[in-house]
Amino acid sequence: MKPATRTGLMLAATLAAATAMPAFARDWAVDAAHSTLAFTGSYQGETFDGRFRRFDASIAYDPADLAHAKFDVTVDIASLDTQNSERDQAALGTDFFDSARFPRAHFVTTAFRRAANGEVLADGTLTLRGVTRPVMLSVKFVPGGNNATLDVTARLKRLDFGIGGGQWADTSMIGNGVTVHGHLLLLASK
Amino acid sequence: MPLRSTETSWGALARGFHWIVAALILVQAVIGLTMVGMATTPAKVRMFALHKSIGLTVLALVLLRIAWRAFDRRPRDPDDTPRWQHVAARATHTALYLLILAIPLSGWWFNSAANAPLVWFGLVKVPGLTGGYDPAIKNVALLAHQTLFWILVALLVLHVGAALWHHFRRHDDVLRRMLTGVKRSTSGATR
Repeated sequence: MKPATRTGLMLAATLAAATAMPAFARDWAVDAAHSTLAFTGSYQGETFDGRFRRFDASIAYDPADLAHAKFDVTVDIASLDTQNSERDQAALGTDFFDSARFPRAHFVTTAFRRAANGEVLADGTLTLRGVTRPVMLSVKFVPGGNNATLDVTARLKRLDFGIGGGQWADTSMIGNGVTVHGHLLLLASK
Repeated sequence: MPLRSTETSWGALARGFHWIVAALILVQAVIGLTMVGMATTPAKVRMFALHKSIGLTVLALVLLRIAWRAFDRRPRDPDDTPRWQHVAARATHTALYLLILAIPLSGWWFNSAANAPLVWFGLVKVPGLTGGYDPAIKNVALLAHQTLFWILVALLVLHVGAALWHHFRRHDDVLRRMLTGVKRSTSGATR
């Protein structure tokens, strides 16, 4: 074998090794126009859907490298929209989200893990209406070319965060359970 | 007590519809005018829910009453009634029927466009009429609901006024036959 050929082979091997090395969790840009942060609650025995129209999400995720994954999401509470102006107004008031005192909610992950059934779960903390509590997300990541979709779901209890306590604590009028579902379109960032 | 109306008096069913719906309309007016001024509390939410439930009940009762009317006759007007009074009475009664249909319907329409819940007495979920939240329809429907209510109030002044006039001035059976279903005692006449 000629030395030049050997050098070439070594170079190729090095390159192969480099590309096979686990990459650091990838940073994604969020396409806000195609992403939603929605929730489903219940009121007077009927379910209703709402969403927060403005939120910032910083997403680092690679399904092959959960150890370095991180979600950090800030939600503009006043961007609440439940398709009912009276309800929105009441929900932002002091008895509920109290958006004047607590204009933002913040969620940040602490650890990712893979459940026995293969589902990815993210543990994190949610700060909402001044209360910080652990919240678990189920994570569904679907890569597609340069982009990806990320669907996360969490189940919260509104009373854990003091949303509608006191005279509104009656869960037969406003259900305690709220399902939050985020759908994000991720774009390859640089 | 006959269920059906006769030539001279209202049957039990027609009177039942009349007074139950009358009572519910009165309750609806009081609840409706009270609830809108309440502070946002669970009590207000319950008042709205009650108003909606009673309103749907009125709508159902009025539809049943109209259906029954197709099978039932109406008593004759007093023989000496002038033609203009026949016409005025018919026009008022027709308008009252239209209003007590249109008012609950406009409330339902408003509720649908406001995307508010609608569960009849907490038991039966009632679907919306608009396919979700619609601020433009919501405003129109609310205006209709309120305007039609005040037209109803005006017509009820006529309706009740006419009934009292028949009873206290004309001394005929027009009010009595709706109250008791019994024609004025004819004992005086037969004696």
